[in-house]
Amino acid sequence: MVVQASKQKAKTLKKPAIDVVLEWFKTKQWDPFPFQKKTWSAHAKGESGLIHAPTGTGKTYAAWAGPLIEWMDELGKKPMPKRPPELRVLWITPLRALVKDTTHSLRTLVEDLQLPWTVEERTGDTTGSIKAKQRKRFPSCLVTTPESLSLLLSYPETKEAFSNLRTVVVDEWHELLSTKRGVQTELGLARLRLWNPKLKTWGLSATLGNLDIAQATLLGTNQPGKLINGDLKKKFEVDVLIPKDMEKFPWAGHLGGKMVEEVAQQIEGAGTTLVFTNVRSQTEFWYHALQQIRPKWKDEIGIHHGSIDRKERKQVEDRLREGTIRAVVCTSSLDLGVDFSPVDQVIQIGGPKGVARLLQRAGRCGHQPGAVSRVICVPTHAMEMVEYAAAREAINERRIEARDPLRSPLDLLAQHLITLALGGGFFSKDAIKEVRSAWSYRDITEEEWGWVLDFIIRGGDTLRAYDQFKRVVVDANGLHSVESRIISRFHRMSIGTITSDPAIEVKFSTGRRLGTVEESFISRIKPGSNFYFGGKLLALKRVRDLTAVVTLAKRGKGAIPVWGGGKSPLSSELALGVRQKLEAAGKDIFKEKEMRALRPSLELQTMGSTLPKMNELLIERTDTREGTCWFIYPFAGRLAHEGLASLISYRMTRLEPMTLSLSFNDYGFHLCSTSTKEFNESDWRNLLSPEGVVDELLECMNLSEMDKRQFREVARVAGLIFQGYPGARKSNRQVQASGGLFFDVFSKYDPNNLLLTQSRREVLDRQLEVNRMVSTLKKISGQKIVRESPSRLSPFGFPLWAESLRSQVSSESWSDRVKRMSQQLEKSA
Amino acid sequence: MNESLTIDWQGESLQLLADRAVFWPKEKTIYIADTHFGKAATFRKVGIPVSEHTTMEDCLRLGTLIDNTRAEKLVILGDFLHARAGRSQPVRNLLFNWRDQYQELSIDLVRGNHDLQSGDPWPELGITCLPDPTPTKKNTWELRHLPPDEEVDRPFLAGHLHPGYRLHGKGRDSLRCPCWVASEERIILPAFGSFTGLKNIKHEKGEKIFLTNGKEIQELG
Repeated sequence: MVVQASKQKAKTLKKPAIDVVLEWFKTKQWDPFPFQKKTWSAHAKGESGLIHAPTGTGKTYAAWAGPLIEWMDELGKKPMPKRPPELRVLWITPLRALVKDTTHSLRTLVEDLQLPWTVEERTGDTTGSIKAKQRKRFPSCLVTTPESLSLLLSYPETKEAFSNLRTVVVDEWHELLSTKRGVQTELGLARLRLWNPKLKTWGLSATLGNLDIAQATLLGTNQPGKLINGDLKKKFEVDVLIPKDMEKFPWAGHLGGKMVEEVAQQIEGAGTTLVFTNVRSQTEFWYHALQQIRPKWKDEIGIHHGSIDRKERKQVEDRLREGTIRAVVCTSSLDLGVDFSPVDQVIQIGGPKGVARLLQRAGRCGHQPGAVSRVICVPTHAMEMVEYAAAREAINERRIEARDPLRSPLDLLAQHLITLALGGGFFSKDAIKEVRSAWSYRDITEEEWGWVLDFIIRGGDTLRAYDQFKRVVVDANGLHSVESRIISRFHRMSIGTITSDPAIEVKFSTGRRLGTVEESFISRIKPGSNFYFGGKLLALKRVRDLTAVVTLAKRGKGAIPVWGGGKSPLSSELALGVRQKLEAAGKDIFKEKEMRALRPSLELQTMGSTLPKMNELLIERTDTREGTCWFIYPFAGRLAHEGLASLISYRMTRLEPMTLSLSFNDYGFHLCSTSTKEFNESDWRNLLSPEGVVDELLECMNLSEMDKRQFREVARVAGLIFQGYPGARKSNRQVQASGGLFFDVFSKYDPNNLLLTQSRREVLDRQLEVNRMVSTLKKISGQKIVRESPSRLSPFGFPLWAESLRSQVSSESWSDRVKRMSQQLEKSA
Repeated sequence: MNESLTIDWQGESLQLLADRAVFWPKEKTIYIADTHFGKAATFRKVGIPVSEHTTMEDCLRLGTLIDNTRAEKLVILGDFLHARAGRSQPVRNLLFNWRDQYQELSIDLVRGNHDLQSGDPWPELGITCLPDPTPTKKNTWELRHLPPDEEVDRPFLAGHLHPGYRLHGKGRDSLRCPCWVASEERIILPAFGSFTGLKNIKHEKGEKIFLTNGKEIQELG
């Protein structure tokens, strides 16, 4: 017995705190890992740090036991209080869905140890009455999200309520790190540290390529920390289902229907399986395909992705946790939550795109001690087999991608400063120091700071003349605060960073919500026709406003919805591995099973063309019906290739007028030209020059359309538009505006608006990966250019040629563009 | 002036103006809808920083249309003012200044849903307020703000929808702009105000859709 209860006296601890915990481990028949003990001892010394490991095992208790030990040590021989201590630990997790599981998990330990600690959750889902109770007295540990923390910081009473806080734990930090929510967390932590300089911060993260930076962003600029490796040297296996007849296996195509039977057999052979796909439409396709091939699985498999309504997703998550489901077909929507619902088997459909992602997914299974974490890979086209071989090697060598933090996003800073103004107010000189202690803002200039203050007080340059405009007000002493109740209300309703795309809601006529699809998809479905969504075959009744009303269709076929969301590009680490494998194949070295299976196709590549070596850039030229086709293979990922395709074609049209259409994928890009002009080595060197990239991109790409789309997010975060709760939309109809509208207004009348600058930078960095474009061109300038002229499309070229996205670079007038698009519309009708 | 396109409707010759208006040369009347003046002020009231530049631009555009067409009458098909909160000094000043330059112009307003909330325009502007719908004396059509759901006896001009049309091309190629929706019985006008959003409409049978990008007009199909 750890704790001796007595009828009259209160309980006291009979052992030192650490032994209490070790005994608990013994009762579970677990041995605490060395990294857990290291964490507890660091925590006891008042240190902060980051615990990183490929899988979830043990990180939670490493972080949780520390604060419990601290409290028990403080208690010493004193009798245990009946009343739970007030807020000592804040546990931040990125997903609302994980909050519940985390709370339960943390509670289990304190209940077993019979400590008078309370653990509660606080998110957007928490009821008003519970929230009010919490504000009166917070539980000993509060499990919450970054948004809810921001919301708490917007109330002046929070400072007092948090006066007992000792430790903050941030879970899944790798996931938050390179996002605005991560920056929001950084700013929140900076404030908590201001209130309590001795606050200990502990992050839990998957393995990353830049752990030092990951720790620095978490702990801020003023704090050193302990990087603790929780890697239990688990064995990871990457197995590939090699298609039976490789010759018929496509070199292009996305949906990989040829492998459905093999996948069904794998599912049959295990308890619970997660089937990961890369995009939502693949999820719908595979769910449907599996149902077709195994009709008796009707209620035994589930589907899960970001556009499905939350209630439906929760049902699947619950069944997964209970183990009452055979398989779930999903996207990255189920990447997190490793600890809570381990599964028996993980299948990855299509290319992994990144090493970290594959590692994380593999880690969802094989949790038993000594078990292997295995991922079964199912290629949907041939090149993915090379990716698997490269990924396996990278995993074994732990060559994992880095996640780069964002650079001073000003939209978020504006939102945060208003939060601080609401939550007790701030002085500029103090606040800039506080904000600079957050890693992502360490370099913010006085000028940028001044602009943000001006923006939140006066609304920026263009509002100079409007005295009545009030947002944040400054008093005679320099205290920045918010006085208006209506502004306070609006701000609190809009705290957050997630922008959902304007989408069509899919509903039954009873009102039951199924999820959302994109307008571009539903506009092509005639009322009465069928489409698949959320795994159901639906018949469209009508579309009105932003809602599509559907009924269950009895039978027949249906269209698979397509979402336009950004696909992750092939990471540089994985691309490097792919190039290594291809070079080896070129030297006739076929080490892996996958490469050997690909041998005939790769030999086909060498017949008309070649397999490029590491220091070579392959350029192919093939004449087709459409014109002269150029294929260039930098292996820099689809985002960089999109920009490169536009850039190179722009440069080509300057050498000679021509019309070009272009396409791109993760391995290269393709330009189809009406001109038969031949380019020599020196021409190519010029076309591929790393100089002047950004300026030329601005000239040739329709960046303003991309800017406008990106600006939606910036406008939302900066508080210009807000989505609020679904019900609130109606009552705030008078202040509804789209991000695009603000973009137009600012572009015209406030062109120096730093939010526009930020939005443009985000387009260049995130949507086009400009840095990757430039570094790729620099690398090419040191490479040998190998030019081939296959008479037929090579295996590498064929997928590019077949790639559906084509756009024209030659400038069309607006009316020509409208004419062209309406003609295409007629053709497809 | 930017482009215009002539159509035949109900036996009359009407001009669609790329600046989002309709001109009836025979009666020297310009029709616009949904100006939503004061919308920016409504946003400023809740702390969202938007300037009145769009109001200024709208006034300039309207003035140019009147100058070029030599219109003698202006009919606004509803939602002149956005909200009560929009009745602010900057908006008032801009509109009063504009009216001073066009004192001879006769202005009618068919009250729209937003006008019912915000109240009639300042009396000094000399705008005649009319109910929705209002018959015209010079023809059979009615002037409306809200396009009715069911069939009605008379053809009409209306606003309210802020119609926009989205064209999809291959891949992610798409284009979206304001438009007129014209059938035998009705013409729905695009919103005239610059600080207004678009609501996508579908192309129904028997309708013609005319797209505008502010400078040119293109019929769909």
